[in-house]
Amino acid sequence: MDREEEKLSIFAFRRAIVVNEIEEAPNVKTLAMKFSGDYNASPGQFNMIYVYGLGEVPISLANLPKSVGRSTVVEHTIRNVGAITKAVVYRISIGSIVGIRGPYGRGWPLNEVEGRDILIIGGGIGMAPLRPTIKYIEKSRERFGRINILFGARTPQDMLYKYELDSFKSIPNTKLMLSVDTYSNGWQYYVGFVTDLINYVDTDVDNAVAFLCGPEPMMRIGVKKLLDKGFRKDCLFLSLERRMRCGVGVCGTCQFGQYFICRNGPVFRYSDIEDYIWVEGI
Amino acid sequence: MKGVVKGSKVLGYRVVDEGIGWGEISDINDLPLGFSDIQKPGFYRLSKGIRFRHNLTSPKLYLHPPEQLVSLVLPNYRIVGDDLHIDRVILFGIKPCDLRAIGILDSILGLNKHPIYTRMRSSIVGVVVEECLEPGETCFCGALGAGPSILQGFDIAYARLREDLVLFKYGSDIGKEVISRANLVKADRDIVSLYQELIDRCRKTTETRIPSINEIKDALKKSMNNTQLWSRLSSKCVGCGNCNYVCPTCFCIEIEDIVSDGLSRRVGKWIGCLTYTYGQVAGGHFRPRLYTRYRHFVLHKFLFYPMQINDIGCVGCGRCITWCPLGIDIRDTLREVVKNG
Repeated sequence: MDREEEKLSIFAFRRAIVVNEIEEAPNVKTLAMKFSGDYNASPGQFNMIYVYGLGEVPISLANLPKSVGRSTVVEHTIRNVGAITKAVVYRISIGSIVGIRGPYGRGWPLNEVEGRDILIIGGGIGMAPLRPTIKYIEKSRERFGRINILFGARTPQDMLYKYELDSFKSIPNTKLMLSVDTYSNGWQYYVGFVTDLINYVDTDVDNAVAFLCGPEPMMRIGVKKLLDKGFRKDCLFLSLERRMRCGVGVCGTCQFGQYFICRNGPVFRYSDIEDYIWVEGI
Repeated sequence: MKGVVKGSKVLGYRVVDEGIGWGEISDINDLPLGFSDIQKPGFYRLSKGIRFRHNLTSPKLYLHPPEQLVSLVLPNYRIVGDDLHIDRVILFGIKPCDLRAIGILDSILGLNKHPIYTRMRSSIVGVVVEECLEPGETCFCGALGAGPSILQGFDIAYARLREDLVLFKYGSDIGKEVISRANLVKADRDIVSLYQELIDRCRKTTETRIPSINEIKDALKKSMNNTQLWSRLSSKCVGCGNCNYVCPTCFCIEIEDIVSDGLSRRVGKWIGCLTYTYGQVAGGHFRPRLYTRYRHFVLHKFLFYPMQINDIGCVGCGRCITWCPLGIDIRDTLREVVKNG
């Protein structure tokens, strides 16, 4: 693709080669994808991943992008839930080519929340867009207050990033709490909903923000509990998902109230969406 | 006009075998001059006359076509460039509501946001509008200020006062030049006042066909979560999406890969918010119940569009009413919402 074409079409993607893969859990893989050129993205933003002949899916960045020489490596954690993600999880592996365009959307407001305590709540695949956030905070540790990380999965097997949870725990002034819905042998942490762990959070509510990502019912329960705990409406941030085809606000299918999730989100301040999040099918 | 704007083709409502369609107009016989339409909820017929309003097509068919090539991709993920040549276009005989709809599409898809729309839009070099002097039964343009007459954004506008009497006005330098070359007779005061009288009557008839916009917005905000109300209002709906496809401002697309001849054609296709798949994702569905999709159609046009582009997303053309196979009337919906709000 030459420069001219790239300018011409917002639908033009970069050719990326898969350079690493990690089996995270049953049906879930993390793929590292390398492409030439510069690339900047903030935690919480997403890329459109293209599989030839099948189409594109919006997938959050699961790590901070890395520069390698004149190339960039990005990571995506992908769960097999539909046609394209199935192809990614079962057919795409090291050496495969995919198309990538992005980054799109607005991520977590990390600049805005400097100096404050941060509560991170991730459920299932919702842990993915929170991982680069944790890494970002780790890199600039002195710029943030106390960190609480709550990660939940259905079963211990489904927990993502098992291999680096210890390193999250050893970030200074950080508390990591894990939960699973269903117990199985050897699980030493909480059994129940990840949102139950909000009871054990030790952030300073008056100077804290919360980042939530996971299934919408989980986030709604989380919001209720956090508001009860004394969090302010404008200090809660949710990463939302909808059917999405373009990533740039022209296909219209990700509309949520007056917002286009792809452009105005995927991360929203709760006070901006409180009229909609409780309404079925808005 | 073609003489003034060189190298262009003319598009608009035109006579086709069985009635009136949309396409290239090559001479005066292509124009639907001898037709009137009869439109009612779920009903459309053509008859002899001089009052053709519109049909199930609109300029959207050209600007934002039902199938649009987004990109061509080779199996090695290289993107193949496409042929960029597009003729310059004059839109002829479109209606004031159609022109307003183009303005809405410009706001939501234009400004280089959608490359295909932007390309098609920039090919339009002339606009000739036919003003309406007699509204159809399903029209409500007056309520939205989208008709029946037009004040700006066109080159030439005309109104058919009688079969043998057409009043022209210009809205641009090009329009002025074309009209001055055409050897027309200057309209006298009687003709102008007849025109004004017909326009006023047309506006008055259509402007009270829905409640006021502020009432509608307030009521929609209040009733957003009223499942019972929206279930009742959508009870006749079958989720076919015809309203979306005929709507001159509905723009949602799906992108599909069609593989043949060793490459994948990525094609944008209209998708209607009334259809089941709208809101469906792998592993779930955000709008499985039909009432939520019907509600989205109404909320988007009247509540969310104003927040997105500072303009109502409906032009009052009435196509969604006429072409609904069940004859669901959005005007009834708006009245009901206001009554219950």
